[in-house]
Amino acid sequence: MRIDVSGLTKTYKGGARALDGLTLTVPTGMYGLLGSNGAGKTTFMRILAGLLRPTSGRVAIGGHDMATAEGRLAVQRTLGYLPQDLGVYPDLSARRFLDYIALLKGLHSRSARRRRIGELLEVVALSDVADRRLKGFSGGMLRRVGIAQALLADPRLLIVDEPTTGLDPEERIRFRTLLAQLAGDRTVLLSTHIVDDVAQTCRSLAVLAKGRLAFQGTVGDLVSHAYHRVWTVSTPGPAPVTGRVVSALPEGTGMRYRVVAAAPPDPRARPAEPTLEDGYLALMDG
Amino acid sequence: MIATLRYEFAMQVRRPSLWIVYALVFAVLIVALPFGSLDLNDYEGSVGRQAMSVAAQILVSLLPIVYGCMLADRPSRDRVLRVDGILDATPSGRTARLIGKYAGVCAATAVPFAVAYFGRALLYAVVEGQPSALGWAALTFLASIVPGLVFLGALAFAGPLLLPPMVFRVLFVAYWFWGNLIPAAMMPTLSHTIFSATGEYVRYGIVAPPPRAASGPARRPCSTSCARSRLRSPPGCGSA
Ligand SMILES: Nc1ncnc2c1ncn2[C@@H]1O[C@H](COP(=O)(O)OP(=O)(O)OP(=O)(O)O)[C@@H](O)[C@H]1O
Ligand SMILES: [Mg+2]
Repeated sequence: MRIDVSGLTKTYKGGARALDGLTLTVPTGMYGLLGSNGAGKTTFMRILAGLLRPTSGRVAIGGHDMATAEGRLAVQRTLGYLPQDLGVYPDLSARRFLDYIALLKGLHSRSARRRRIGELLEVVALSDVADRRLKGFSGGMLRRVGIAQALLADPRLLIVDEPTTGLDPEERIRFRTLLAQLAGDRTVLLSTHIVDDVAQTCRSLAVLAKGRLAFQGTVGDLVSHAYHRVWTVSTPGPAPVTGRVVSALPEGTGMRYRVVAAAPPDPRARPAEPTLEDGYLALMDG
Repeated sequence: MIATLRYEFAMQVRRPSLWIVYALVFAVLIVALPFGSLDLNDYEGSVGRQAMSVAAQILVSLLPIVYGCMLADRPSRDRVLRVDGILDATPSGRTARLIGKYAGVCAATAVPFAVAYFGRALLYAVVEGQPSALGWAALTFLASIVPGLVFLGALAFAGPLLLPPMVFRVLFVAYWFWGNLIPAAMMPTLSHTIFSATGEYVRYGIVAPPPRAASGPARRPCSTSCARSRLRSPPGCGSA
């Protein structure tokens, strides 16, 4: 399902402009969405999920116009959505909660529902606690419940807003791999602050900044923003003052800094191979 | 809609606080009012019918307060728990879910009410050897209590959209005492009128009111036929 967005603007009551003339095409497959806090990622995803009406602009998903009720309904029939601020009913068990959402998604056959929920509980490794009340679940466990509910109706379009926040490393890697496997002929839109998740799973991505499109292209394109701009500096003294320090590692009696800067930040600086994170920082620094 | 009804019913009916608060207020009723004895005040006629009417009258004095207050947090619950994002992204439709929630939550909140009422009816039928009381109980419950609960449910769903649930609860309790319980002699009120949610008028259609049910100069006890005609034209007959 292709997502076509043009001139999308959202101004909240009170005047906050979360999206400002966003034009973007998201192809089938896994697609990353990066951006700093308040860049408008969640707002964008909520509009795509039909939860929020844009102030102006057009959104078409798989040819369905999201401005019409029929269009939204058609999209929601094939949508899996994991909100950033995920909530659950604390008095239901994981299994019953998933059963309720499955019913709302139109899975009316009880046996099919039971089977699907069993499979997904397996996938998110919650089978053992499936009949415990959600009240007692940890943050990471709740996130996995959220992931399971998004996958319930075998969605053609998956919109996941920071799905791996709060997951342990093992679970995070397992989940992002699962998303990548699911992608295939589906569209998976992944918003995250963990740049490595995008680097490991997406071919293409977009970067939002203050509600505008700052970048759209492949992972390689974004990495290339940092070519000749990443340096390592080993020094016993203070950190370099120019450029942005990406990492600082103790080394012998001094420190080894990794710096993104347009010019060598220090006479001792040596060029380094850029990563996606470096490309992202280079883009943000302009 | 059916799914929402089912799950909202289940979540509400299993809420421990629902049963606890009902039980506390119910205890007050048993201690303070003749719910145990069902004092019929020398009534002549079908005693089972009258007893069920008295039982209803006693329960509707305070239990609707619990009913309204226990409903008040439900309309905004999905938003407070932040489940609304997931729900709204399903193709289930907000209106259908709202109707399902209203029906499910109101029905669940009425369960302890019904348990108290029909429990008393059963006890009465067994102890007094009057099985017909159960029939009268069913009629009284459906015709006089349920309509009131349907109305109060709508009020409790609309109110918290405008007010925080706690503020709504305070106003609701005030409304209940003013509009349904205080004697009309004290101040202008909806009590003992067709607008009272206690279902009093309908009970008058089932049994004539006991002499002390209607008090105050403006609201004399009236007969069944008079109640019916009042229902047709409220300001007309019976005011003298
Ligand atoms: N309900 C709202 N009312 C008013 N302003 C809002 C609302 N939601 C978001 N905003 C504003 O819109 C802007 C974009 O917010 P949004 O949540 O879309 O960003 P984000 O990219 O998802 O951020 P984060 O990475 O922190 O999740 C922010 O400036 C925010 O303050
Ligand atoms: Mg966000």
